[in-house]
Amino acid sequence: MTFLAPGFLYAALAVAAGIAALHFIVTRQPRAAVLPTARFVPDSPATAIVRDARPSDLLLMLLRMLIVLAAGAALARPVIKPSREPSGRVFLVDASRAVADTREAADSLKRLYRAGDAVIVFDSSARTLRSADSLATIKRAAVRGNLSGALIASLRAASSMRDRVDSVDLVLVSPFAAEEFDAATDSIRKLWKGRARLIRTNARVDTTLARGNAIELRSSSDDALAVTTAIANKSANRSGARLIRNALSPNDTTSSAQPVVVWPVSERPPFAIASSPDVSGGITTGATQVVAPFNRRWRFPTDSIRSARVIARWADGEPAAIEKEIGQSCIKSVAIPVVGIGDLVIRSEFVALVNSIASPCGGSSFGAPKSGDALAALAGTGPLATSSYFPAREDIESPLAPWLFGIASLAALAELFVRRK
Amino acid sequence: MALFRREGTAADAGVKSPGTNQPVDSYNKFAPLLDAVRGIRWPARSQVRGGIPGAHTSRLRGISAEFTEYRPYRQGDDPRRIDWKLFARSDRAYIRLSNDRAILPTMIVLDASASMAFPVATNAKWDLAAKLGVGLGSVARNSGDPVGMVIARESEPLVLAPRMRSSVTHEIIRAVSQTEPAGSAPLSPAVSLAAQTGGRLVIVTDFLGDADELLSVASRWVVAGREVHAIHIVAREEIDPSHESAMVADPEAADIRRPMIGEARDQYIERFSAWRDDLSHQWSDAGVLYTLAIPGDESADHLIRRVTAIRSGAAIA
Repeated sequence: MTFLAPGFLYAALAVAAGIAALHFIVTRQPRAAVLPTARFVPDSPATAIVRDARPSDLLLMLLRMLIVLAAGAALARPVIKPSREPSGRVFLVDASRAVADTREAADSLKRLYRAGDAVIVFDSSARTLRSADSLATIKRAAVRGNLSGALIASLRAASSMRDRVDSVDLVLVSPFAAEEFDAATDSIRKLWKGRARLIRTNARVDTTLARGNAIELRSSSDDALAVTTAIANKSANRSGARLIRNALSPNDTTSSAQPVVVWPVSERPPFAIASSPDVSGGITTGATQVVAPFNRRWRFPTDSIRSARVIARWADGEPAAIEKEIGQSCIKSVAIPVVGIGDLVIRSEFVALVNSIASPCGGSSFGAPKSGDALAALAGTGPLATSSYFPAREDIESPLAPWLFGIASLAALAELFVRRK
Repeated sequence: MALFRREGTAADAGVKSPGTNQPVDSYNKFAPLLDAVRGIRWPARSQVRGGIPGAHTSRLRGISAEFTEYRPYRQGDDPRRIDWKLFARSDRAYIRLSNDRAILPTMIVLDASASMAFPVATNAKWDLAAKLGVGLGSVARNSGDPVGMVIARESEPLVLAPRMRSSVTHEIIRAVSQTEPAGSAPLSPAVSLAAQTGGRLVIVTDFLGDADELLSVASRWVVAGREVHAIHIVAREEIDPSHESAMVADPEAADIRRPMIGEARDQYIERFSAWRDDLSHQWSDAGVLYTLAIPGDESADHLIRRVTAIRSGAAIA
């Protein structure tokens, strides 16, 4: 057994020794000699501090020492040192939108997993699984994978294993899509001083790219947005989507793998509710800003955007358009009124806004899977990382601490009753 | 021991405890004192009331042989007391007067409270009180007066009725020998009890109990014509306490525990001295013959001589 914070234990021992010493020091009136005329002595309180040969209130002393020692030991966080293994593994399992099927990763993991290994599932964030069996319940996320964050989580997991293993093997199970890499990935990878094993799984096919880059507009003939889509389809960075301006049919969301943009002319957009009419001075999609007066009639309530991605916002920050995943595709609800008066529909920033709204689900394509140098750098060279290299974690939970706190609490209750007696 | 040979053994006096030699030891303890006070007489301070003929001058004029004066005959006088020879010479009727003699019952009251058992190692206060009780009782009996004793004990008071028989001294010795000072029994009830049968009261105490009530009771009996003696027993250790005692406790009051260090000791000495002076003045002013007795400073027989000497009512110390 070892203590993660032994200072508390030393302090508790010192306090317990003080308690014992105090029980040997008693305050009492000194032994009085008989004097029949004592009434003529001026009355004044008199006590003397003397050292007793035996401790006063032995049971109380023991209880108080138990309280302090148990609480101190609990704060010192005792942990039982496990037997050491030659090596351990940290699995980084990709569950982002770039993964074709998470069951493939689970099958790969079953072959390599041993008790004591750490399994980390990541998409845009990373989380540690209690066992490899839990991986079967993991579903693919609709968000971009973040390999840098996963590597940081693997460093923390390796720190937790440093007392149990001599070396740590890093196993990455991922399609290694380009979107999962960022500028920090290489430098974070270098923090792991050892080689890594890469297991590539199948990447998800980006269907929006496969269907061609053009906006299919379904609306009436006098729709002002028709001009905009026509201009957008001629631009170089055009997107592919179905833009529906009239009533939405069930087939619109099930038959196509392309994003479905529902942008009603005057009806209520999906997921939106009516709001008091007002005028907003502009719209932004992050890279594109359109400054013009818009008569705002709809708003997206909080519940509607909980599982959605906001793809455009009004000038005051309220969502103007949201995206929700549906199966392999997604549906985009746009609550931006478009009027045919003026030059708004032919302005370049508005065309860019339409292109941005009609972009593939998730905002961008997954990118081609990484290969070559990028993967070689990720795999690294040399032996496995030595566990002693990883810093000891200070947030390890002590299984004995709750019991010790319980003992201290019980002793405190007992002390209360004994003291009252 | 010669005294006991003359007056009989302890067994003859009926005071021996079966199976023990304690009474004999007690008599041996008091024997030198009894020998020392054998010749002392204890005259009354003033004329006593009439009654059984005794050694003290009575207030009554009687027909004893000790002629005092003549008084003209008044109607109602006993014609037998007319001096007929003087009548024959002067042709006037005179009554021949003479002083009567009477006894003076003496009651000795001993304070046997816990404060009298001091100093703890020697019990000097109680020893002196016991010797004074025995010695004064012996002197009074030798003067022909009946002697009794009341010991104010923790339980009920021990009462020995005044008697003139020779064994009364032995009974007093036995009573004081069997008494251990303890408790905090008030003394004034014992004094009232003793005054009912005694013409002379001797109170031997340290006045650390019900001093105010005691003075009130004694004053009443002085006014009633009793001769009251107060012997104040004060230990030398009370006047000048030991420097080794940092804390002192009253044996009669458990709640009185006080530190006697530094200025407290000086204040104690000053207060106790002032209290003794006040006590002496109050009792003397009340007509009581006050005597201060300090064990070890004066022998018991010398103290008895001081107490029994005829004096004018002023306190002596």
